[in-house]
Order: sequence, then structure tokens, then C-alpha cells
Amino acid sequence: MIYVENLRKEFKKVVKEPGLKGSIKSFFKPKNEIITAVDDISFHVPKGEIMGFIGPNGAGKSTVIKMLTGILTPTSGKCEIGGQIPYKNRKNYVKEIGVVFGQRTQLWWDLALRETYTVLKEIYEVDNEQYKKRMAFLNEVLELDDFITSPVRTLSLGQRMRADIAASLLHSPKVLFLDEPTIGLDVVVKDNIRGAIKAINAEEQTTVILTTHDLQDVENLCDRIVMIDKGSKVFDGAIDELKSRYGQSRELRFIPADFKTAEKLDYKREFNLTDDDILVENDGHIISVKFNSDTVSVEKMLSYTLSVTHVNDINVGDADIEEIIKDIYKSGVNPSA
Amino acid sequence: MKKFFKKTHRMFKLHRIFIKQDLKRLMEYKVDFLTGAVGMLLTQAINLFFLSIIFSQIPDLKGYTFEKIIFIYGFSLLPKAIDHLFFDNLWSIGYFIIRKGDFDKYLTRPVSTLFAVTVEKFQVDAFGELVVGIAFLCVSIPNVNLDVSFLNILLFIVSVFFATFIFTGVKLITSSIAFWTKQSGNITYMFYMVNDFAKYPTTIYNRALSFIITFIIPFAFTAFFPASYFLGNGNALFNIGGTAMMAVILMAVGIFVWNKGVSSYESAGS
Ligand SMILES: Nc1ncnc2c1ncn2[C@@H]1O[C@H](COP(=O)(O)OP(=O)(O)OP(=O)(O)O)[C@@H](O)[C@H]1O
Ligand SMILES: [Mg+2]
Repeated sequence: MIYVENLRKEFKKVVKEPGLKGSIKSFFKPKNEIITAVDDISFHVPKGEIMGFIGPNGAGKSTVIKMLTGILTPTSGKCEIGGQIPYKNRKNYVKEIGVVFGQRTQLWWDLALRETYTVLKEIYEVDNEQYKKRMAFLNEVLELDDFITSPVRTLSLGQRMRADIAASLLHSPKVLFLDEPTIGLDVVVKDNIRGAIKAINAEEQTTVILTTHDLQDVENLCDRIVMIDKGSKVFDGAIDELKSRYGQSRELRFIPADFKTAEKLDYKREFNLTDDDILVENDGHIISVKFNSDTVSVEKMLSYTLSVTHVNDINVGDADIEEIIKDIYKSGVNPSA
Repeated sequence: MKKFFKKTHRMFKLHRIFIKQDLKRLMEYKVDFLTGAVGMLLTQAINLFFLSIIFSQIPDLKGYTFEKIIFIYGFSLLPKAIDHLFFDNLWSIGYFIIRKGDFDKYLTRPVSTLFAVTVEKFQVDAFGELVVGIAFLCVSIPNVNLDVSFLNILLFIVSVFFATFIFTGVKLITSSIAFWTKQSGNITYMFYMVNDFAKYPTTIYNRALSFIITFIIPFAFTAFFPASYFLGNGNALFNIGGTAMMAVILMAVGIFVWNKGVSSYESAGS
């Protein structure tokens, strides 16, 4: 469905020295610097997949989405969606896609929401029958009824986001691009929006590309993730794969029966570990031990702990995707790893 | 052909929705609208006052009587007002839509970007200009020896129509510059202001200025040339044909620059 090959986008940036003098100088003799926002990215998304597109701030996610939706023309490389090239024959292409940018609405500020959808119905040439059915469906999954008569400018962020998502789905697009659709939303609205994405994907095999900083979105929705950093792809695969490749990080948590004996625990000496391998935290109530199950097996960890101290409660947490991704974002990753 | 009608029908439908909503907004913000209208009336009244002072000193201006000047003045307001009504959003393109990256949304819709941009704003403020323009025409027509024939009425409509697109064309070209420079509102403003010269006979200006407003920024074709044809000067081919030709040229260049601009649009960071 979506083929992206060596996609690249460079922006020209005028470098300005600080102060008024700098401004004047750059006015007469502008110095340009080229920044590469997207650096030869390739990936493929089959029909019906929900792909999570993640990466730290400024990685180039929005820039890729803008190229795939025909807003930006790539500097070089190719992208093809459903057999069409976004920036060629744009009007024809955008009939097949839905686009939401969580950061800013695409709706008309002063138009009542209901009228907004009438405008979109005309723009996308949706016939009456189909429109009625569609609105009923969107109403149900996104609960638009409470605010359908309000002008867009009066909507709260959560309402506006639901309105925007409904707008992107009105014409039954084959591909849906969502750039941070859950930004700034409460848990209930997030859940509602995830539900809608799932429903649309299940019902119509809509292919979805979604960027987010909320890893719950990824775990909840995505079949697969593509991670980029500084414009380059650093990971491409299923979440489980990410977990098994980068994260054997586990967390052992227990409440010792008696803190005196618990203090005798010395994981570093017992297993010959360095500070990088293990992190022990004691908040006076629960002791937490973060370790990597590649270096020390869970079984050894448990039996050593229990051999030293009695516990009131103990558990070992699963690999935490949030921790893994934090590590990757912080330390960077070798794309070929 | 059938497809063309369907498309036009769809365009009118969209226009209607947005016009309705802008009229609704007018009702909501009555005070703002009335203040704007009063301000505009004052401006026109002051202009009129100064004109009458000038004409109290001289019998005519290079063959143009006070009434004839009022006729040209009134004529000049019509295309200006119609352009204002329908194509006002082009100002926002030059001032902030491109700079803030808000142009993104027009690119994800399956209609022409130019249509999408202009349809969403119906500038009700322009009613003021329209009313004043028509009033000036009504006052002056009985005093200027006008031949009110069917052909002339037709030519009048045609020349107002094309004159409108001279305004639109100039705005389109200068606003499109923002695709490269991010902001061009002040450039549009500078060019647009030249239209103030078009309300008076070009013959009162020196050669250079008269050349500029005839051939370079051809605002003379939005008022003086077509209006003076109806006053019995000049010929239809130059005065009205010229208006049509300038409009077509400016719009063609405008649409070309706009499309070039759209493909170099860079959006904005966040
Ligand atoms: N219109 C633009 N002009 C110049 N530089 C830009 C533009 N858009 C993005 N950039 C630059 O390109 C890089 C990638 O930006 P992009 O918005 O794609 O990141 P992102 O992954 O979406 O980040 P975030 O998670 O913060 O939204 C950044 O360094 C940014 O400064
Ligand atoms: Mg982004």
C-alpha cells in the first residue's frame, strides 16, 4: 500500500548572527545552511496495517507525514501510496487519504461543526445516502453529538480532536495519517480515539500511519513500529521484536519483611556487576532493582534475594517499552544493530 | 459539459455556506461591523470634501468636471468592493497563513488551493464600498451626459467584471511571493495602494506615473479608462478591451506564480 524509498527532505535555513547587527548583515548577505530533516528513509506498509511512527522531538516524523500527504515535495527519493505519487496529481490523490495534525485543526474556525461536515461532504463529493450512514457511524464511535452545533473555535481540545478525526474519515479514505492524534488529551478521550482508530481499521481495512509520543498508543494500536532519529530509520519491526532486541530490562520489586536484613543484599558483588548493569532504589517501603535479564537470569535474581531476606511481597516486572525507548532516545542506536 | 455544471454547482454551494456563515458573524459582531462601516464612510466623505474644495477653485480638471470625477470615483469602488468581497483571504496568505504553516490544510483537500483559500472568507466589510460606489454613480449619472443604452449597460457589467480581476490578479501575484519569502503582506499593500491614483484622470499625472498605472501596475484600467469610455472619451477597444486584457494577463501570471509557489511551499516546523 505504502512504499517509501530513500525519501529525503532538506530545508534551507538562513543562519543569523545574534543581535540587530546580525539581522542587518543577514538581510544583505544571507548565509544559508542546509538541514536534513529526513535522511534517506525507506519503509513499506502493507494494506490494513496500523504502523506506529515514533522518534524523539525533531526526528523528522511530521516532515515524513507531510511528504506522504502531498504537503511537502521531497528533495529526493520516492514515495507511492496506493499507486499514486502524492505531490503529482494532488487533487486526485488526497481523495483517497485522511489527514489529522493533532497540533492544529484543519477545520474552519467559525463554522459550526455540523456545517463543517456539510462543507466536507461537498468537497469530497460524498453522496447523501453515504453521508448519513457515515455520520451516524462517526457519531457513535467519536461521540460528536454533544458539540455538533458549536462553532469549531469553541471546542475543547479533546472535542476538537474528535471533530478533526471524524472530518478525516468522512470520505472513507483508504489510508489515514495521524500526526500526534492523542496529544494533550485525557485518558478517556484517548481511549475513545484509540477505539475509533481500531474500529475503522477493523471495519474497512484502513491503513493507518500514526505518530505519537504516548507509548500506550503504540502498544494498544500498532502492529508494527518504525522508529526514526535525526532523520534516519533506527528500527523497523514488531513491538515484541523491539523488546527482545533492546530490552531485557526487568524490574524486581519487593517489600522486605525486615529492612535490616535487606540491606545485606549486594547484587553487584554477588553477580559481579558494574553500575551500568543494575540500579537499586529503596524508598523505605519498596525496594526496586532494575537489571538486564541477559546478564543475570530472573531465576538467579529471585533466589539470591529470597536467600538473604524474607519478603512480604515480590514481583518481577516485564520489559517496559517506555524504559526501552527512553534508553534508545537517550543513547541513540546503531541502525544496523 | 455535465461535469462542468456539476462542478460549478458544487462551487456555488460551498460559497453559499461560507457566505451564510459570514453574514451570521456580521450579526454577531454588529458593533465591529458598524464601526468599520462608519470609518469607511468617513474616509470617503473626507475624500469627497477635498475634491469639492479643489473644484470650487477650478471649473474643471483637464476637461473633467466635478461630476465626472465623482462618476469615475464611484466606478472605481465597484471592482474594488467585489474583489474585496470574494478574494480578501489573499491578504492573509501574504501576512500569516504561509508563515505560520496554516497553508497545509488547503493542500490536503481535493479542490484547487486557490479556490479553497478564497471561498472560506466572504468579506462583509466590502458592502460599505459597494454602497458608497453605487451612491456616487447614482448622484453623478444624471449630471454627466451618459448614453444609457443596452450595449453600454452590458459593457459596464463586463468592465466591472474584468476590473475586479485586475485587483485580484495584483493581489494574487504579490501574495504568492510569500511562498518563497514566508511573508509578503506589505508588498501586496504597497502595490495595492497604487490603485488610489486610478480614481483620477491619468492625464493629471506626469508621464512616468501615468505609464506605470497604465501598463505596469495597470490600475488605471480598473477605473479611469473604462469609466471615461462611458463619459464619451476614448474607444471601447482600448478602454474596455484593455481592461479585459490586463485582467486576463494578470490572472494568468498570478495563477502561474501561485502554482509555482505551492510546489515550493515549505510548511512550518511544528
Ligand atoms: N518548515 C520547516 N522549515 C525548516 N525546518 C523545518 C521545517 N519543518 C521541520 N523542520 C526541521 O526538521 C526537523 C524535523 O522536524 P519534524 O517536525 O519533522 O520533527 P518531528 O519528528 O515531527 O518532531 P516532534 O516530535 O517534535 O513533532 C527539525 O529539526 C525541524 O527544525
Ligand atoms: Mg511532529
